[in-house]
Amino acid sequence: MYISINWIKDFVDLDGIDVEKLIYKFTMSTAEVEGITKHGQDVDGVIVAKVISVENVENSKKLHKLMVDTGKEKLQVICGAPNVREGIKVAYAQVGSTVSGQKIGKAMLAGQESNGMCLSEKELGISDDHSGIIILDDDAPLGENIKNIIPVDDIIYEVDNKSLTNRPDLWGHYGIAREIAAITGRKLKPLEVENLDLYNNLEKLNIGVEVKDDENPLCLRYSSMRVENVTKKQASWKVKVRLYYCGMRSINLLADMTNYIMLELGQPMHAFDEKVVSSVNVKTLDKDIEFVTLDSQKRKLDKGTLMICHEDEPVGIAGVMGGLASEITDNTTSLFLESANFDAVAIRKTASKLDLRTDAAAHYEKTLDPELTKIAIARFIKLLREEDKDIKVTSSFTDIYIKKYPHITIHMDKDYIDKCIGKVLTMDEIVTTLTNLEFGVKVDGKNLTIDVPSFRATKDVSQKADIIEEIARIHGYDNIEPKTNLWKISPVPKDPVRELEYDAKEMLAIKYGMSEVHSYVWYNTELNQELGIKVRDNLKIVNGIVKLDNTLRREMAPTMLYAIDKNLKYMPECKIFEVGRTFDYEFDGKDAKEYKVLGIGLASTKQTEKELVYEAKSMIDNVVNINRNLNAKYENMVNIQYNWIHPVNTFKITVNGKDIGYITVIHPKIKDAINPKASIVVAELRVDTLGEMIKRDISYKEVTKYQTVNFDLSLIVDKDIKYSQIEDIINTANMKYLMEYSLVDIYEGNEKLQNKKTVTIRFTIGSYTGTLTKEQIDEEREIILKALNKNNIFINE
Amino acid sequence: MEEKLSLLKEQLEKEMKEIKTATDVENIRVEYLGKKGKVVEILKNLKNVEPSKRKEVGQKANKLREEIENIVEQKKQELKEKEYENRIKNAEKIDITIPVDDKIGSLHPITIVQKELEDIFTGMGFTVEDGNEVETEYNNFEAVNVPKYHPARDMQDTFWLENGELLKTQTSAAQNKIMLKYGAPLKAIFPGRCFRNEALDASHENTFFQMEGMMIDKDVSISNLIYFMKTFLSEIFKKEVEVRLRPGYFPFVEPGFELDIKCPYCDGKGCKVCKNGSWIELCPCGMIHPNVLKMGGIDPEKYSGFAFGLGLSRLAMMKYNINDLRALNSCDLRILKQMKIK
Repeated sequence: MYISINWIKDFVDLDGIDVEKLIYKFTMSTAEVEGITKHGQDVDGVIVAKVISVENVENSKKLHKLMVDTGKEKLQVICGAPNVREGIKVAYAQVGSTVSGQKIGKAMLAGQESNGMCLSEKELGISDDHSGIIILDDDAPLGENIKNIIPVDDIIYEVDNKSLTNRPDLWGHYGIAREIAAITGRKLKPLEVENLDLYNNLEKLNIGVEVKDDENPLCLRYSSMRVENVTKKQASWKVKVRLYYCGMRSINLLADMTNYIMLELGQPMHAFDEKVVSSVNVKTLDKDIEFVTLDSQKRKLDKGTLMICHEDEPVGIAGVMGGLASEITDNTTSLFLESANFDAVAIRKTASKLDLRTDAAAHYEKTLDPELTKIAIARFIKLLREEDKDIKVTSSFTDIYIKKYPHITIHMDKDYIDKCIGKVLTMDEIVTTLTNLEFGVKVDGKNLTIDVPSFRATKDVSQKADIIEEIARIHGYDNIEPKTNLWKISPVPKDPVRELEYDAKEMLAIKYGMSEVHSYVWYNTELNQELGIKVRDNLKIVNGIVKLDNTLRREMAPTMLYAIDKNLKYMPECKIFEVGRTFDYEFDGKDAKEYKVLGIGLASTKQTEKELVYEAKSMIDNVVNINRNLNAKYENMVNIQYNWIHPVNTFKITVNGKDIGYITVIHPKIKDAINPKASIVVAELRVDTLGEMIKRDISYKEVTKYQTVNFDLSLIVDKDIKYSQIEDIINTANMKYLMEYSLVDIYEGNEKLQNKKTVTIRFTIGSYTGTLTKEQIDEEREIILKALNKNNIFINE
Repeated sequence: MEEKLSLLKEQLEKEMKEIKTATDVENIRVEYLGKKGKVVEILKNLKNVEPSKRKEVGQKANKLREEIENIVEQKKQELKEKEYENRIKNAEKIDITIPVDDKIGSLHPITIVQKELEDIFTGMGFTVEDGNEVETEYNNFEAVNVPKYHPARDMQDTFWLENGELLKTQTSAAQNKIMLKYGAPLKAIFPGRCFRNEALDASHENTFFQMEGMMIDKDVSISNLIYFMKTFLSEIFKKEVEVRLRPGYFPFVEPGFELDIKCPYCDGKGCKVCKNGSWIELCPCGMIHPNVLKMGGIDPEKYSGFAFGLGLSRLAMMKYNINDLRALNSCDLRILKQMKIK
């Protein structure tokens, strides 16, 4: 919202106050200021002059040669405006004057000398109108500085609307002036209004308001008055310039005045042409209709929308926008004035549904004070009379007041205030602050009884915390010294899942050189199609801006593949991970289950799929081990649910018998779509499940004092025998002195041994009670060989 | 005999001069000191020496043997030294400037910043809580004092889900659950991913990270909030920061503040980060609204507290001088690999 300092000065004396410092204080005490614009600084030396003759310029259709009289001299000016004519008074920029920051000099136009120029409103900076030059009133004195006729000079500051969301009282200049009065400690001038009681004897207007719900009426108050004999068509320069500087366009006198009142008091008003609307019925639509609004748009309105009707004919959407049919035109001389209060939620719903967020709707949705409707009419008539002294009020003030907000009184004591702020203030300061903000205050010792003014009582101020804010912000938060209290400190329990998450991330980055990524939690439909990834249906976003990408991810793998697809375009290798959420939408329930999952994506044009699988396995092993000291088990996955999973090389991961993820080579079809030359492997691991598992305690195992013995066995086995099968044999062979064994090598290249491979295993044997004898060693070797032979495994001699 | 001895010594010294390799030294040692060596020969023949001179000659011969041993040993050492010198001189010169495997990976900037903050807060006695990403409308809005059709909902374009729930628009969505879980007094932070239904550009993302904190106890005042914010922001920026509070409207706090810090990068002199404004709007905060406390099962007459929000994405951008918010979710390793571990 734009605030005009000139306008504020109507209500608060700002003499001797530095405006920029004041605006800073406003930021610190009331609301955020987004910018300051100083109007008129780029205009200097523009005066009133009279056009005393107009001649055509040879060889030009547009240009005219004028003689203008400045009161001191008569000068030739060349002017291209279509509305120039003899006898008018104009805004004349003399040679040496400044317009839009540019010096005006003598110029030659179409071979004719021009001494300065006549200005349009746009050139003077007071509107966007550049269709012709400004025509001043006939009584404007020649040679007078234009700034004394048109209030060009003003300082406008823009307040962030969001920071006024909860302050309906600040949606007009008078409310802002009240704040400024409190901030500066100056007096707020009372609002000058028409005494409406003068018209009590005139006839009442015919107004009906439908009330369906007494507790929550859609129309809280409807006030109206009729004014006739409006002859003026244009508002004064003051009104037009203020509207323009505050972001509105001047239309005609009556529309401008309703807008002026809205900007001044925050109360939206509507003027109907009384020839079209002579009485009003406020009611909801009983069926869907089409309606043409002031902006000439035909709109579909739903049943239940609150409308302003003339008899049964809708003439306006309540609180949002009037209808085109009852619009004020240049022929309007009498008006039916509406000053009403509507339910904030209802207006907000209607405006959102129609996508028609008018200024009126934006005001109403803040929950305006219904007391304002009468004040607004009284002020309107006072100001309209200043614009057009011939107007006649032809009705009494007609008012249907359905719902009044309860009067709010808050009791609190000074100690509480001091405690909440953390500083001891004087009672005097507290009372002055509240009084300046127009709260009623009664003091009894340390106790305060505070009456909340109606314009703060619609929702903004209702309890003690709200009063604390009023006092503290006007005192200035900068004036509160930081202080600490000695609160009880207790140790903080660590969240095991979070701890695991960080440990795993650091290990993957440091040990494996992996990079952490953040992706989106929904699938990329376009990429799914491009790469051939098929996902299962899952919980969907219903209103996303990008309509396609509406399905939340159920698996991490696709988002890992998107990242791989992107990066392999730039680099030969891409090794990434993410700890993110996946969602499982159970259709029988209503809620989505949410999991915390580690996704690993390995892609390389230099490594084989096998190498990548083992790399992934190493990562998983270490993640499982890193702070839980657990071991993972792997087995081929049978139940394959997704089309990116390789039907053969896919492995289920279990820890403590719990299923916590999988490693898979990417299906060749999808892999080739990403990069035919690359090997791609992904893995997923449920870090939440793993993190909640109990840590396995490690207990020290004694090292033997005696010499141990190593021997290697090279076993010839069938190609599809798994290492784990050999392990099973070793583990069940009942060896007496086995300390440990490890895989040395697997060799598949021996041509003599078709369909076989050689697996070399190193055994370490020893005893805690003495060095093994040769007999003991041979015996141990016999035991394992026998066990292997029994399973048809023989050694390579 | 004595002559023979001194001749032997002369002869040895002469031979030694021409020696080049360790093998030669060994040969000479054998020639003189071996079992059949020249010195040993003399000692063996001692019995042929006159008994009166036998002792003297014996001593001289032994002395000679010692001398020869020393000469040989010295020569050996000399040769060894020379050999080392040669090896060093001929060693392959290593070019240290050749690039090597510097394959340390990278953590996401959000992770790095988040961990830093969590460490600061846990050090100050805060628990770290996790919220959901899919939340109920109640937790995200109603429970933090934003009823349906409240204009404050405009501040946050929401992703609505088909089951009536939503992707949480703010970490505040966890406030209610945490209050109900712990009650008062309470000190907790809750970082998390948030979502807004917005078109992307350099300063707007539909997916970003926030961290929210709450502290609830007896007699918590505005003055305490200022103290606290100043303390932890100084920790974050690793220097004493100047803060200021302005009124700000957030429905879940009353009074609500916008907290600005004097730009820590230029000390308020004006720079790119603060856009020459010298103050940076950093962190919305405020005294927790009594309604929010009530809904969280905490008696606002007994307890008060403050809440604050920090934009993790924003802090990460400041830390790494990233000027496009979209970089964070880009998955682009050309960007992310620059971040390293800390």
